[in-house]
Amino acid sequence: MTSDALIFTLSAIGISETVYLIKKRLLLQKPICPIGENCLAVLESKYNKIFIIQNDVLGLLFYIACSLITVFLVIGIDPLSIFNNIIKILIIGGSGISVFFTYLQWRVIKAWCFWCLMSASTIWLMGIILLVRGLIK
Amino acid sequence: MNKSSFHILRISLAITFIWIGVLILKNPESWGGYLEPWAVDFLPVSVTQALLGTAILDILIGILFLIDWLTWFAGFMASLHIIVVLTVSGITDITVRDIGLLTAALVVMIEDLPIYMKSFFKK
Repeated sequence: MTSDALIFTLSAIGISETVYLIKKRLLLQKPICPIGENCLAVLESKYNKIFIIQNDVLGLLFYIACSLITVFLVIGIDPLSIFNNIIKILIIGGSGISVFFTYLQWRVIKAWCFWCLMSASTIWLMGIILLVRGLIK
Repeated sequence: MNKSSFHILRISLAITFIWIGVLILKNPESWGGYLEPWAVDFLPVSVTQALLGTAILDILIGILFLIDWLTWFAGFMASLHIIVVLTVSGITDITVRDIGLLTAALVVMIEDLPIYMKSFFKK
């Protein structure tokens, strides 16, 4: 229950962050860059989408899926074991993709984006929570 | 109010409201215990139905806070909702927490009021 609450909290933070980025992109406004000055270099790079879907939209879908599945697990909607496996796959997959995007910022684009790093940290934290939950059980 | 502080407060309220809504959905009957007997007598529907409605309202308010859309309205609804909760649950050990939530919701509402409303109140 506690781990579900934490994963939900992190998913909600992710939703608000990606909604912010999508709004800024649609309104053609520059997002605030609290740390560093190269957010736009990353957000407007050729790596800002996977196939034809923008990364911020993919991120939003990921966080919505995580929060919904967490809610299903808390309320106890069946099939619980399938939802449990889906959330694990989502978070493990998301962590891997976040490692890839962080590598792109570090080595390829050579610029850091605050929002991308925050999103990556959020997903890694979700992964750590999942890991700790697995160890405690 | 600092823009970052506003967003931190908004997202915190969003998480609180959605999570409380989810917990009520999980077990509405147990939340019925918080209602004062006189308030139960006033209900036109069963306690469970009323609490399910409350849970949905909580989640909707939380979503509005989260996506930063009609945030002032979410703040207004949240404030009204907490005032009703304070009224129907009476003074208990956790009343102080609801007062904290009420103030936070009021702050978010006032900060996000549309300009035409702000100027109306300044008249």
